[in-house]
Amino acid sequence: MSFTQQKEDKEIEEALVKDFQAGNLEAYDKIAELYQQKIYALSFNLMRNQMDAQDVTQEVLLTLFRKIHTFQGKSAFSSWVYRITLNASYMKLRSKKKEPNISIDELLPSFNSAGFQQEKIQDWSENTESLLFTNETREVINKAVGLLPEKEKVVFLLRDVEGLSTEKVSEVLDLTIPAVKSRLHRARLFLRKKLSSYFEEYNSQKGET
Amino acid sequence: MICCKECIDLLYDYIEGSLDQNTSKSLEEHFEECPPCIAFLNTYKSTTTLCRDTLNQIEIPDEVRRTLQSFLKEHKEENK
Ligand SMILES: [Zn+2]
Repeated sequence: MSFTQQKEDKEIEEALVKDFQAGNLEAYDKIAELYQQKIYALSFNLMRNQMDAQDVTQEVLLTLFRKIHTFQGKSAFSSWVYRITLNASYMKLRSKKKEPNISIDELLPSFNSAGFQQEKIQDWSENTESLLFTNETREVINKAVGLLPEKEKVVFLLRDVEGLSTEKVSEVLDLTIPAVKSRLHRARLFLRKKLSSYFEEYNSQKGET
Repeated sequence: MICCKECIDLLYDYIEGSLDQNTSKSLEEHFEECPPCIAFLNTYKSTTTLCRDTLNQIEIPDEVRRTLQSFLKEHKEENK
């Protein structure tokens, strides 16, 4: 998307928010239409459950409707929507049984005392094509993302999946830029490790037959 | 020469292109001497792309879309 396009979108959105704040219900419909896909995708990726994502999307759209007068424009409107979505998703997750948290550190690469890599690293990046859209790969990826600790997961979803800028993520989550970067880096390392085990196993099986 | 651990700590900024020239240069020198770190770099990048392309495909299912529509309609009428 070009810079002018982004700027135009932002202006249209601001105008819609103002109209809705002034009581225009058609403006609300447009806002709901613009955002429901984003709200649904983010909450689905956080909770991995269609029913829960539907509940959260409903709740967020209703909150937007009821609380629009409290939005003061100090941050971007989209940041406000993302924050409401995250809060609603976390409330939902908290009411469910929690899976035990695993430590992310044990999944980071291991080094010898001089700081050099200890494990063999296989470069599977060239041969993911055939595997890319199989259900099995999708399953492995979904599971790996599901295992990410919440702090890392949310940064990863907003930045790498939704494509928000680092600055925007720091606004939504109220984190410093270095904190966003370090969480994202940890998330990527964790996921890389998980995907590596899968692809390496796949490649070695293929080599045997 | 920088070690692998430092190299991996720098990957994020390297991909973003936000390293200063000197650091970037010593990182590239490390890559030349260290195939495991090149493999690491490639798979680190692939991980991001693979996960994004997979999770990006979430669409609202039609039945959910319908539920949302009637839900909103109901609530707007209440608030009229
Ligand atoms: Zn190395």
